[in-house]
Amino acid sequence: MANKAGPQRPNGTAQAKICQFKLVLLGESAVGKSSLVLRFVKGQFHEYQESTIGAAFLTQTVCLDDTTVKFEIWDTAGQERYHSLAPMYYRGAQAAIVVYDVTNQDTFGRAKTWVKELQRQASPNIVIALAGNKADLANKRCVEYEEAQAYAEENGLLFMETSAKTGTNVNEIFLAIAKKLPKSETIGGSGSGQGRRLVESDTTAKTSTSCCK
Amino acid sequence: MGSVDLLSLVQSGFTGETVLACLEVSKMQGWVRTTRYLAIISKSGSSAFFVLTSTRVPPISPADVSVEGIVPIDSNFKFELDTETQHEDGHDLYLSVSSNKSKLLFEMMPSSKSNAFVGELYKAVDNVVRKSGPLEYNWLNRYPPVIRHDCSDNGLKEEVQDSVVDSPDSLSLPRESIAKGSTPIAARESVIRYMMSKKEDQYMYKQSFRIFVGTWNVNGQSPTADLTEWLSCDVDPPDIYAIGFQELDLSTEAFLFNDTPRENEWYKAVVSGLHNGAKYTRVKLVRLVGMMLVVFVQEKLRQYVTGVACDTVGTGIMGKMGNKGGVGVRLDFHSTSICFVNAHLAAHVEEYERRNQDYRDIYSRMCFSSHHPPKTIKDHDHIYWLGDLNYRITEIDPKYVKDCVERDSFQKVLEYDQLIKQCRAQTVFVGFKEGSITFKPTYKYDTGTDNWDSSEKNRAPAWCDRILWKGESIEQIEYRSHPFLKISDHKPVSSLFDAKVRIIDAVKYRKIHEEVMKKLDKLENEFLPQVTVETTEITFDTVQFLVPQSKNLIIANTGQVPVKFEFIKKLDDPYYCKDWLNIEPYLGDVIPGEKCEVKVEVRVDKKSAYKLNSGQDQLYDILVLHLEGGKDIFITVSGNYERSCFGTSLETLASIKEPIREISLGSIIDKEKKKDSFSSGEGTYAVPKEVWFLVDHLYRHGTKAKHLFVQPGLHSEIYDIRDWLDNGSQESLPGSVYSVAEALLLLFESCPEPVIPYEMHTACLNCASNFMQCKQIIQGLTYHRKNVFIYLCSFLRELLSHSDDNGLDTKTLAALFGGIFMRDKPVPRDVSKPRSSQQQLDRKKSIFIYHFLVNDYPDLLPPLVSS
Repeated sequence: MANKAGPQRPNGTAQAKICQFKLVLLGESAVGKSSLVLRFVKGQFHEYQESTIGAAFLTQTVCLDDTTVKFEIWDTAGQERYHSLAPMYYRGAQAAIVVYDVTNQDTFGRAKTWVKELQRQASPNIVIALAGNKADLANKRCVEYEEAQAYAEENGLLFMETSAKTGTNVNEIFLAIAKKLPKSETIGGSGSGQGRRLVESDTTAKTSTSCCK
Repeated sequence: MGSVDLLSLVQSGFTGETVLACLEVSKMQGWVRTTRYLAIISKSGSSAFFVLTSTRVPPISPADVSVEGIVPIDSNFKFELDTETQHEDGHDLYLSVSSNKSKLLFEMMPSSKSNAFVGELYKAVDNVVRKSGPLEYNWLNRYPPVIRHDCSDNGLKEEVQDSVVDSPDSLSLPRESIAKGSTPIAARESVIRYMMSKKEDQYMYKQSFRIFVGTWNVNGQSPTADLTEWLSCDVDPPDIYAIGFQELDLSTEAFLFNDTPRENEWYKAVVSGLHNGAKYTRVKLVRLVGMMLVVFVQEKLRQYVTGVACDTVGTGIMGKMGNKGGVGVRLDFHSTSICFVNAHLAAHVEEYERRNQDYRDIYSRMCFSSHHPPKTIKDHDHIYWLGDLNYRITEIDPKYVKDCVERDSFQKVLEYDQLIKQCRAQTVFVGFKEGSITFKPTYKYDTGTDNWDSSEKNRAPAWCDRILWKGESIEQIEYRSHPFLKISDHKPVSSLFDAKVRIIDAVKYRKIHEEVMKKLDKLENEFLPQVTVETTEITFDTVQFLVPQSKNLIIANTGQVPVKFEFIKKLDDPYYCKDWLNIEPYLGDVIPGEKCEVKVEVRVDKKSAYKLNSGQDQLYDILVLHLEGGKDIFITVSGNYERSCFGTSLETLASIKEPIREISLGSIIDKEKKKDSFSSGEGTYAVPKEVWFLVDHLYRHGTKAKHLFVQPGLHSEIYDIRDWLDNGSQESLPGSVYSVAEALLLLFESCPEPVIPYEMHTACLNCASNFMQCKQIIQGLTYHRKNVFIYLCSFLRELLSHSDDNGLDTKTLAALFGGIFMRDKPVPRDVSKPRSSQQQLDRKKSIFIYHFLVNDYPDLLPPLVSS
């Protein structure tokens, strides 16, 4: 009978819209990419997280005021020998988290090269966040907050220092990405808000024809 | 979203094509319904049926929409409308679309939009039939080539249409299925809705609001009286007003053109008559000829009113004119849907059947189509039905009626009220309630008085003007008439209700919504495909030319759902593994708890040897094992390749005096790079020593061997010969002459280029019948190649001179060595050439060689060949 359409939002507008986004995690091995995802998705932390050999896949939803953002998360292998496979995962992604370890300067350098690669090769509208993980290990810190902050600002990246171990800023960084992602018709462009099937044809067809804009 | 909006939205996503029609439907897969958008899109004379998905329902931006499937509307395209299988609502229409073996089923709401869509579909199909020439569908190729649909009848996955799928790389299109298995977003939304509705009581509460409903047939009069007597006779101001009028204007003008000055006059009168204890704002006014309904809400509550819509239904002359019928306003107040209907049903004392019919017409025809899906009266939580329903008092003496009502003894008379009788008989207003009537009949008075109609008709007074309601949590507080208003032959009626409305607690809603989301995420992640492989490193020790080695990879399904795995190609790679690797099976299904054994075989053959020998490739590959709808696992395969003279260029071999194993890899790579500079022959052998060893051995031991080159050798002996050549030895060449002969052929076959280089093949074939020209081509070969060619041909002639013993004939050898000296370029896996053209090529090659086996050519003999 009545009310088949189900409940409405408190403000009377229709059910919140759901947007689906592909998010990829990149960064040197052992900086804590999988731990960040595990903390975000399952609220867990393992001191001895297995090394990812491949690309793990999980989904997680984030509720904003007016929208619900569903992330399809691709957590990639960090080892250098798998580097050439990374484009399979960041191509067509609407968001990326580039992770480094605050206790390891090299990983910060590696993060910068990831950012460069994304800026060159990924979708031009990709939202990139820089995560300085292992922030709980303050006494072993090698990368200063200000240095990373300045770099992030220069490159228009979201930036947070996170700790998958304590959970600090883990939900926050995903939430910040969700907020920054384009959810209205004002932002088009290749890949945004698209299913990945169409993204694949981006390389052959012009973006204007490969998706329904 | 209206159809026009949807159409233009979709159109803006297809720049080169014309979108003829677009419709929102539900795709049916078994019992699962998911929202899809269908579009008929045409270009260059042909059209196709597109199935679109949207990340949002409804789509707001073209970027939300993506193509899920395409079915070209060609001669294979068929569709069927099924109106028989009706849904419980009796409103649904099924569209089934089929092409070749696949079939899709959609459910749609019958409406003018669906009619228009089906109309376009008929036109498009008709177009195919009428066109005589073949239609062009190439424009579809730019859409993603792999399109699969669940076949609705048997659940098997099938390609929708070959012409769409046939693009060359469709087999290895890499990421087609990644994460596809996760719940499609539209389905997820409906699950969320369902789960949220199950938890309603956790975030909803009810609050009572006062609603004033009034009705008055004003008999075409102007509002000369003050309406406060009717509209604000109560102490407390109501929260919502719904006020209906009938016979606002009885003029022909109003009837024919639905235009009347009375609307504004009465509206103003109503506004000034509203309760002055609160501020009101108009929600909606709707009018059809003389029927007008206006809804007000207290200003402070306006923000909770949404989804306002109205509709009118005429049931007058020809069943559609607006002298009789109904007008309605619907709205959502907080989370309760409310519909007000003001009706003026058929007149005349005996016509109660017509009135019943008018009611049914209004009830079924009134449709608030701006809603999606369109709402009808029955789709509301609370329904208030007011108006001049025109039911009379019959089968009783009018005089008696008047007597009774004068004594306020209504009960006896109400026994004869047509509406009460019809309601009891369940022929009208089923499920509606009406309060008990404690006021005098409201019709018919002499205008301006409280006297019963004094005309000669002498009708019994009747309660024509009524207010009914339907829905839970509605309490009637008042039901009354207002006899002091005398300007009409009817008296106004009003009713006060306390209606409990559902309100969402925003904080609780949000919390529960997030809980639901989390639960879904958890479920979704739990049901992702999971497998374990015992190792991600497959290492082979020493890999030798031609010797296959294999290892097993066990894929165990440790998850909760069946897994479809596939080794997928990496970006820009032509194939999912390198050509020295073979994976069997490279895709498959594993059910939970089961395992699948995959054989990973490495075999360096004549095709891959050169790249490995020359350092262009290594025995190293990373395989991507993809689980459909889930993660990828990288499997690294590596090994040490033992380099060999097999798979080395003739030039490099000729420049090496030692066995190849005694040379460092670096210097071989170096020599391969510089091989063109050896063409002068300086400091090199005239022919590679490996060729000489093999030929010389055959010359000395095999010229009389029966069917030499035709009879195959033994694998193990060929491996021994390979080792002998690669390592050098003081002993004599091992193996039978047949194995030596096969090793010789293999040596040529595994060279990066045949003796006569690829680029000269066309010229050779073109002049195959002319010996002079053939000789010129051979004359033009580089130093080593010319030597090898003539050396081999001389040896073959020697063999033929013993044909009595070895049984060989010129044609056989010409054909065999034609294929060796002019071997075809390797073609990618899975591609086969047409056989007939290949036969012609082979014939010409053998003719070319034939000349050199039957003729003398002293002019070609190079000085350096020793016999």
